[in-house]
Amino acid sequence: MIQRLPLRLMLPIGLASLVVACGSPEPTTETGDSAAEPEASIIEVRQENFEGIADAFKAIRGQFEGDTPDFVVVETNASIINANAQLITGHFPEGTGIDSGAETEALEVIWETPEEFAEAAGNLVAASSALADAAAAQDLAAVQEGVGNLGGACKACHDVFRVEQE
Amino acid sequence: MAAVSQTKIAIWDWPVRVTHWAFALIIPAMWWTAENSQMGWHKRLGLLLLALVIFRFLWGLAGTETARFARFVKAPATLINAVIAALSRKPGPPEEPIGHGTIGGWSTLVLLGAILTQISLGLFAGDPFDGATGPLNSLVGVSLADRLTDWHETFFWALIGLIAVHLCAIAFYHFVSRRNLVGPMISGMGQVNGLDIREGAALKNGISPASLPRVLACAAISALIVAAIASGILVPA
Repeated sequence: MIQRLPLRLMLPIGLASLVVACGSPEPTTETGDSAAEPEASIIEVRQENFEGIADAFKAIRGQFEGDTPDFVVVETNASIINANAQLITGHFPEGTGIDSGAETEALEVIWETPEEFAEAAGNLVAASSALADAAAAQDLAAVQEGVGNLGGACKACHDVFRVEQE
Repeated sequence: MAAVSQTKIAIWDWPVRVTHWAFALIIPAMWWTAENSQMGWHKRLGLLLLALVIFRFLWGLAGTETARFARFVKAPATLINAVIAALSRKPGPPEEPIGHGTIGGWSTLVLLGAILTQISLGLFAGDPFDGATGPLNSLVGVSLADRLTDWHETFFWALIGLIAVHLCAIAFYHFVSRRNLVGPMISGMGQVNGLDIREGAALKNGISPASLPRVLACAAISALIVAAIASGILVPA
């Protein structure tokens, strides 16, 4: 798993560990206890992870603005999403939700219904894997369906487990 | 220096003051809602701010004397002269007895333009799979929307910079020139400029009252534009 960690993640994760090592300069929670520091850093790590997914999915959708999508770009970015998606469930230790006072949009329902959350994350792993396979097979119809399913997996999880955006 | 009358006269009409103070309240609220994941409120307040800015631009065409761009936006050459004069602490070009000076008038236009720019970027910002989107987001592709979102985040700091300059100018007038600009923006009443006033300048007795039909007409046009943007009729299904 570590060997397959995308390059783009190494810098943020490295920086995040550095922040922990140096003592976190970022705003801590109102309780201000020292235990909040590693929690704040895992929030940063998971946000970077999700941003990696968002950027990769934008790169994939960008391929459908022109005449012909580049299947290599789609496959590469679907693989990035797949690698990041496998990390998601490990990024949500107890006490790092919105009720902790930290700057996060992670709703407490993540910890109230952990099976559903794991399933939603698993759907993203499956959808990104299917899209990568479809792109590798250069199957346009399957890729288009795969992009739709991937977007559905993002949205379905956000609708339930993330702060309302509207 | 011309004689300064102690008599207070009407300088700013009420729509100018209401829009000004609404900007002062809503812009910090826009920042707060964005920072605190209150995107529903960010969008609603953004549309309200858009309506107010459009209204202010229309009022700049149809409002009272000191509200009008035609009166307070001077030729660029005049602006350059005024800036050079201010920097060398010499008397600048003749100014109106009340209302924006040459530099202040351009500052007003730039600030209004910056607010409008920032809102316009926000209308297209966001990603439908990742949280909130502006009402016109689907008019642009995912790559352009991504770039406009970045600009929306970056241009906020340009707007903050301009607001900081605005506040510094008010502080400068207060502490150095001993002129209170805040009071007249609240009450609408103030004294004429103690500057070199244009020969035969009008408005020594203050501005005319704001015409209610004109206020309503500007508000109606502005509301129609914002309703069209917010309703989604501009966006293909």
